[in-house]
Amino acid sequence: MGKRTRMRESTGPRSPGPTTPTRDTRTIRAKMVLLGSSGVGKSSLALRFSKDEFKGTLPTVGCAYFTQVVCLSDVTFHFEIWDTAGQEKYHSVTPLYYRGAHAALVVYDISKRESFIRAQMWLRELEKHYIPASTVMVLVGNKGDLSELCQVTLQEGHSLAVDRGLLFMETSAKSGNQVSELMLAIDRPLEGSR
Amino acid sequence: MSQRKERRGIHVDQSELHCNKGCGYYGNAAWQGLCSKCWREEYQRARQKQIQEDWALAEKLQREEEVAYASIQGAQSQPLSQPQAPPQASLAPFSKFEEKKTNEKTRKVTTVKKFFSPSSRTAPKKENQEGKTPSPSISRQSSIETDRVSRDFVDFLKTLHKPGREVHKQSRAFIEIMANKKDLSADELSECVQDFYQNLSDRLMTHFKGSSERVERVMDEVEKYIMTRLYKSVFCPETTDDEEKDLATQNRIRALHWVDIQMLCVPVDEEIPEVSDNVVKAITDVIEMDSKRVPRDKLACITRCSKHIFSAIKITKSEPASADDFLPTLIYIVLKANPPRLQSNIQYITRFCNPSRLMTGEDGYYFTNLCCAVAFIEKLDAQSLNLDPEDFERYMSGQTSPRRPEADGGWPQVDPPTGSAASSPALTQVYQNLDLLSGMGSRQDRVLEGVQSLQRDLITWQESVEREVQEILEKYPLEIRLPAPSAIDSDNVENDRLPPPLTPQVFAG
Repeated sequence: MGKRTRMRESTGPRSPGPTTPTRDTRTIRAKMVLLGSSGVGKSSLALRFSKDEFKGTLPTVGCAYFTQVVCLSDVTFHFEIWDTAGQEKYHSVTPLYYRGAHAALVVYDISKRESFIRAQMWLRELEKHYIPASTVMVLVGNKGDLSELCQVTLQEGHSLAVDRGLLFMETSAKSGNQVSELMLAIDRPLEGSR
Repeated sequence: MSQRKERRGIHVDQSELHCNKGCGYYGNAAWQGLCSKCWREEYQRARQKQIQEDWALAEKLQREEEVAYASIQGAQSQPLSQPQAPPQASLAPFSKFEEKKTNEKTRKVTTVKKFFSPSSRTAPKKENQEGKTPSPSISRQSSIETDRVSRDFVDFLKTLHKPGREVHKQSRAFIEIMANKKDLSADELSECVQDFYQNLSDRLMTHFKGSSERVERVMDEVEKYIMTRLYKSVFCPETTDDEEKDLATQNRIRALHWVDIQMLCVPVDEEIPEVSDNVVKAITDVIEMDSKRVPRDKLACITRCSKHIFSAIKITKSEPASADDFLPTLIYIVLKANPPRLQSNIQYITRFCNPSRLMTGEDGYYFTNLCCAVAFIEKLDAQSLNLDPEDFERYMSGQTSPRRPEADGGWPQVDPPTGSAASSPALTQVYQNLDLLSGMGSRQDRVLEGVQSLQRDLITWQESVEREVQEILEKYPLEIRLPAPSAIDSDNVENDRLPPPLTPQVFAG
């Protein structure tokens, strides 16, 4: 299933998240998918994003689906964050999540080498489905607060991102460090892509 | 209209009972206060006028459509103020539809029922706008539910005034068109419906000047109306293999009955009553999905199911669930519920739901999760359950069950295992039922014995009766005595006393 929908997406006009011109500001709806191994802190990152900094509310009892409104000077973003199951056994079904997504965050844990390797797998998978230009893709090294246990250096992450033409950011969902910067970094290209 | 208001009062003046035309005859409220003769005249005129209006409207719409079509092909620019019929509602079926509607109306108003129903009191023109009566081809399969939905739809559209009328007209025209397209494949049908959604929402978008929330609300209602009507013909159509897939999935889930919480790493503890309560509710919700007709209602069932799952996880773990916890639990719920016609429902939602609802939004998220769960169940293997491939094969073939590896495939012992059964209410139930079954078995045996002895009794009774009869026959054999020759007077005792018979005397002359 889903083949037809994806095809329709690529043809353009039917894709959701219309840019709707209002008087002063534009409203952009953006769907963002969180990818990454189990335990790298995807949910915490999303939680931090929707609770902190931007005066968000938790819409559900769970931490799997969030909405967040970000107001910039001329654009209002309605973010929709879809968390995905990171366990390896669910890898094969994950493409269902990211059809129609406008942004994809590939998260790894800087204190776990393995999660970085998995992140590269996710990226390869994503590139199968998307032309890098149409979707904003971000590589996120999470758990920046655990720098003493660092197994993946900032340099490694950065060079991978440059290599693939991605945005890159090292964050800490625990301390909230760089999370809002991450979101702002996503906003700009999203705005430009419409 | 004003005349009608006066008559609503309880006090009736004698003069009010007379025909409003003043012809002297009594009038009737059902005929707008006219007598039968005046009413017939009046009504004929109104109907004639209405038919003319309908034709004029149909012609006007056709012209508008032609203009719209031309302008779309030309420069994509059309006047914002005038909503026009979508280009795909081609001219021929649309005019036919108008014609049908008119026929339907004229036919209907002549019935007696029409005269006495309260709704007939509204001005005929209003009914023309609403057109509540579905065309004959659709009304045949309409039920109470579709009627109710149509009524709600009309009520909702009334709040929108002019565009509401337009939306209603187009929705009805679309249903009419779809009724003639029954032999299309499911994908083509889906394409038609999606094109209709797209066109209508584009036009609403220009009308509401970009207020996407209002457009969405209208589109939700349109979807509800259209899909309730089309449900029977487009759900699990014969042209697809949906039904086979349903059966395959159902059998697959049945074969996986032995999968338990530990294998899927589900963070839910069913020992806690509140948790098991939520699990049961989630199962009920996902099963209930099949009973809904509108794609959005089906989605709402999935969302409710998901919310219950989240509650269950939250109670168990005492922290909010993440997607890592949620997906396995949903898979577990689907395995436990084995929802009816799962694939058909997913296909139906994918084909006919408003696409923006599927790929974004909370409903879309949970629906995607359900799709993932189903895809996972289809591909599920030993590795994904952390099992030995051999064990997996044996469990799948039903040779053994992971929970009672000592069982040799036959029925469990009937005598209740006192200790272990207490742990699981389902197990105690099973044992109770087994008890009942064995009790019934023994009673049936007794009944069978009784029947056999009755049969024996009957045979012996029959034999004894026969014997008795025979004995009696032997004891009193049938003797046939010849009757003694009898004379009429033989028994007469006093024969002697009788005078001698008369003897003829001869008189010599």
